Amino acid sequence: MTVGSKVKQTLAELKGAHGTLQMYSAGTRDGEAKAAFDKAMAEVGEIIGDLEDRLRILESQEPQYKGK
Amino acid sequence: MQDWLNILVRSFALFFGVLVIVRIMGKRHPSRMAPFFHVVYTFIAITAALIATNIITNVVFGFIALGSWAVLMLLIDYAALKSKMAHDLVNGRETVLIKQGKIMEENLSQVRLTGEELLRELRAKNVFNLADVEFALMETTGEINVLLKSDKTPVTPHHLERRVAPQSEPQTVIYDGNILDEPLAALGLNARWVRTQLEKTGVALENVFIGQANSDGELYLDLFDDAVQLPQSKVKELLYAALEKSQADLTSFALETQNGQAKAMYQRNAERLKTVTENLRPYLLR
Repeated sequence: MTVGSKVKQTLAELKGAHGTLQMYSAGTRDGEAKAAFDKAMAEVGEIIGDLEDRLRILESQEPQYKGK
Repeated sequence: MQDWLNILVRSFALFFGVLVIVRIMGKRHPSRMAPFFHVVYTFIAITAALIATNIITNVVFGFIALGSWAVLMLLIDYAALKSKMAHDLVNGRETVLIKQGKIMEENLSQVRLTGEELLRELRAKNVFNLADVEFALMETTGEINVLLKSDKTPVTPHHLERRVAPQSEPQTVIYDGNILDEPLAALGLNARWVRTQLEKTGVALENVFIGQANSDGELYLDLFDDAVQLPQSKVKELLYAALEKSQADLTSFALETQNGQAKAMYQRNAERLKTVTENLRPYLLR
């Protein structure tokens, strides 16, 4: 397994977590819990952004592994 | 008027009369009343019985007695609500029985309580060891309440310095196969949400005895058919696990990469994800 595909896997996992956080943030009635979910969502979103940037560099370095 | 008819009419009138009086006098629990209120209630009960059974032949006299006791009781109750002095006069004051772990013998004899009785009352509160008691008090109702020494009190999340998610009361949204709209509205949900949730778990509405929804929008179901095993919602646990796994992944990427800039980025994000996971812990793992 290449580094690129591993990063992609983690990226997918984080995106899934981001979605679930969004679901809970929308579903909860409690203001404090909502704030906690929103904050976590923003953090995870930024991490996703960083990983995507890194993935782009990886793919340009190893174009043969570029995924669809 | 014939005697039996007389008693029948009196009984009916007093039955509802006393019902009204007792309802007006409030919701005090009989076992938690100051002794004086017991006397008033007993007086009303006996007088009503005596009028109804025609022992007090003069109905007017009977009702005057009954009414004046009820009115006096209401007046005293009102005064007790408004003034602390009147309150103490009617209800009496609490008596300290144990102070700083030491039994106050004079106060004990003042409320006519023996040491054995005190121990029995403490045991009823699950306190078998006198050494555990910091403070105990006899309420005006005769009930004894206990404050334990601070190292003997039950452990709370506060003691463990652990944050816990706030919890609001759940609402019963399905009862006996029917969707209840009012509690659903209180949660900001509607009947369609319930139907979707039921479809997700694969349960028919008719099969649900009680369904409760919490403020996180999760639905707990109890079915008529107890043989059916419901899948437990593990979304929160899975989310927590996913976050932890991603954090571990990022750490291993940081170790593997040769690129200094990428290493720093992975490390920074692994740290961030760790804080996120820690902050979410009370909400995801209850």
